[in-house]
Amino acid sequence: MIDGVKRIGANDWEVPIGFVPGMRVPGRFFLSEALGRILEPGAVQQLANVATMPGIVRYSLAMPDIHWGYGFPIGGVAAFSLDEGVISPGGVGFDINCGVRLLSTPLTQTDVRGRKDLFDELFRSVPAGVGAKSKTSVTARSLDGMMIRGAHWAVEEGYGVSHDLIRCEEKGYMKAADSSEVSAKAKQRGIPQGGTLGSGNHFLEIQIVQEIYDPEAAAAFGITAGQVCCMVHCGSRGLGHQVCTDHLKILEGATKKYHISLPDRQLACAPITSKEGKSYFGAMAASANYAWANRQMITHTVRQVLSKMFSIPYEDMPLIYDVAHNVAKFEEHTIDGRRMNVCVHRKGATRAFGPGSPDLPPDVLSIGQPVIIPGSMGTSSFVLKGTAGAMEKTFGSTCHGAGRLMSRSQAKKRLIGREVAGNLLKEGIIVRAPSENAIADEAPGVYKPIDEVVNVVHEVGISQLVARLSPVGVIKG
Amino acid sequence: MSLEDIPHTADVKFRVRADTLNALFSEIFGALMQVIYGKDRRGDLVKEAHIESSDIESLLADFLSEVLFISEVEGLVFSHAEITIKGLKLTAVLHGELFDRARHSEGTEVKGISYSDLSVSRDTNGYMLDIIFDV
Repeated sequence: MIDGVKRIGANDWEVPIGFVPGMRVPGRFFLSEALGRILEPGAVQQLANVATMPGIVRYSLAMPDIHWGYGFPIGGVAAFSLDEGVISPGGVGFDINCGVRLLSTPLTQTDVRGRKDLFDELFRSVPAGVGAKSKTSVTARSLDGMMIRGAHWAVEEGYGVSHDLIRCEEKGYMKAADSSEVSAKAKQRGIPQGGTLGSGNHFLEIQIVQEIYDPEAAAAFGITAGQVCCMVHCGSRGLGHQVCTDHLKILEGATKKYHISLPDRQLACAPITSKEGKSYFGAMAASANYAWANRQMITHTVRQVLSKMFSIPYEDMPLIYDVAHNVAKFEEHTIDGRRMNVCVHRKGATRAFGPGSPDLPPDVLSIGQPVIIPGSMGTSSFVLKGTAGAMEKTFGSTCHGAGRLMSRSQAKKRLIGREVAGNLLKEGIIVRAPSENAIADEAPGVYKPIDEVVNVVHEVGISQLVARLSPVGVIKG
Repeated sequence: MSLEDIPHTADVKFRVRADTLNALFSEIFGALMQVIYGKDRRGDLVKEAHIESSDIESLLADFLSEVLFISEVEGLVFSHAEITIKGLKLTAVLHGELFDRARHSEGTEVKGISYSDLSVSRDTNGYMLDIIFDV
């Protein structure tokens, strides 16, 4: 383990105050010994840097998919008090509400295995990759709807059913969204990209439920063994990217105005209650809503394709859940015995609220929040449930995925997209992507082993395994 | 002049060296376009950009962010640029073409220009910059 980091439990590590100058709280992260061997010193440095930010409460946290990002580490979670704390776009990321949703179907493995035509049709129907444009014409008025009412707007427009909103974090939209804080430039980028997948690690995957670990939770969530599901992973597209760019610039100025000293410019921030802080939050929430609308539009396209191809009713493909990975939220948590409102930043981390928590769908209230964890291409994905342990240890948070091991430049040097796709096909997994580079960049070997990562969150108790899903085919951006 | 691709786990990190500031910015501009669109880029169309900033790193970030914006909303893929920097003011003549799915799908979107580890410096050998693109 990195010098200066202390072990405080089987999978629990502390970065003590003093690891970098100016830390106000310690850092805490969760990692097994095996994952500890591939931990980058830069990631721990970033974790420690976050601990220097004003108003941070308890710890600067990182989940077991921790890796070197920019500003906050990927896998980072930090909560700030409302009166002394700050809000920071670096704690959310450029891809605001990059998140993932899981759709169930009545299909089974025999229906979809080897069905190249299914993946051809999905690839044709869902715009993906660089330069991809929406198939729907989004007007300025629609865009406003997407930003203010997110997935709710999409359902009203016919892209889904009301049950989709019950099974979505925030019920599909954050009410604090303020589209007037979204620049004209960001809106210009948002209009042509409604219902598009993006690129990089964004994907749409058809999966089979391979294993059920928690039958009671699986039943409550609506998951059965052998069932075909569809997982969609994408975010707020160019609109969100522009909002982050715009507000980072404003907050750079605010950092100086409010005399906040930071070890990294990417941690640019402003007091939560300041004009600049409120402006960013309003724009961030609008971008998050756009992402939820976007994922809802893609869901509709998937349902249309599956419905047509397999003659299944649209209503027989319910949404299991939708979670955000990159977002800041105002939440109430118990800290040192008292209830406190804080601004929780999750950057490459997933909310994992325990049983009885607010914003949970009524039919899973006693179980805990469904948590969707996508694996890397060709590997398993998982469904977990949120726990009281998460509420206690991590402000109700858990990991978001496997976390990268290898940079894209290394991936391209060592792996050839065509070979990766060929190997996956031998295992029965179909890959469709706009280019071979897209495949090499995201090959299984460039990520940490997902099983190891979810085992850590399970052992630490911040979420519990419910089911494992394996891929049949994937559309990559 | 040199362009070095530095391994960064999640994103794309470059170190560029050049004799002049103008050449430095031109080089990283080309690298950004290559990350997104690949190598096959032509320069028949011309577009101008004017940026003014408070410091040299911000000038770089603001310029490249503006390029991301123009490229996406106008559907333009740039092959190269002539850049002139005077103080903290930049003028760029961008040469490019319209996005062509058949030739421009080899890359990956850049979500933003990070301020983390962003630096522009000068020594006796010339200019150097370090930058991270969020992909």
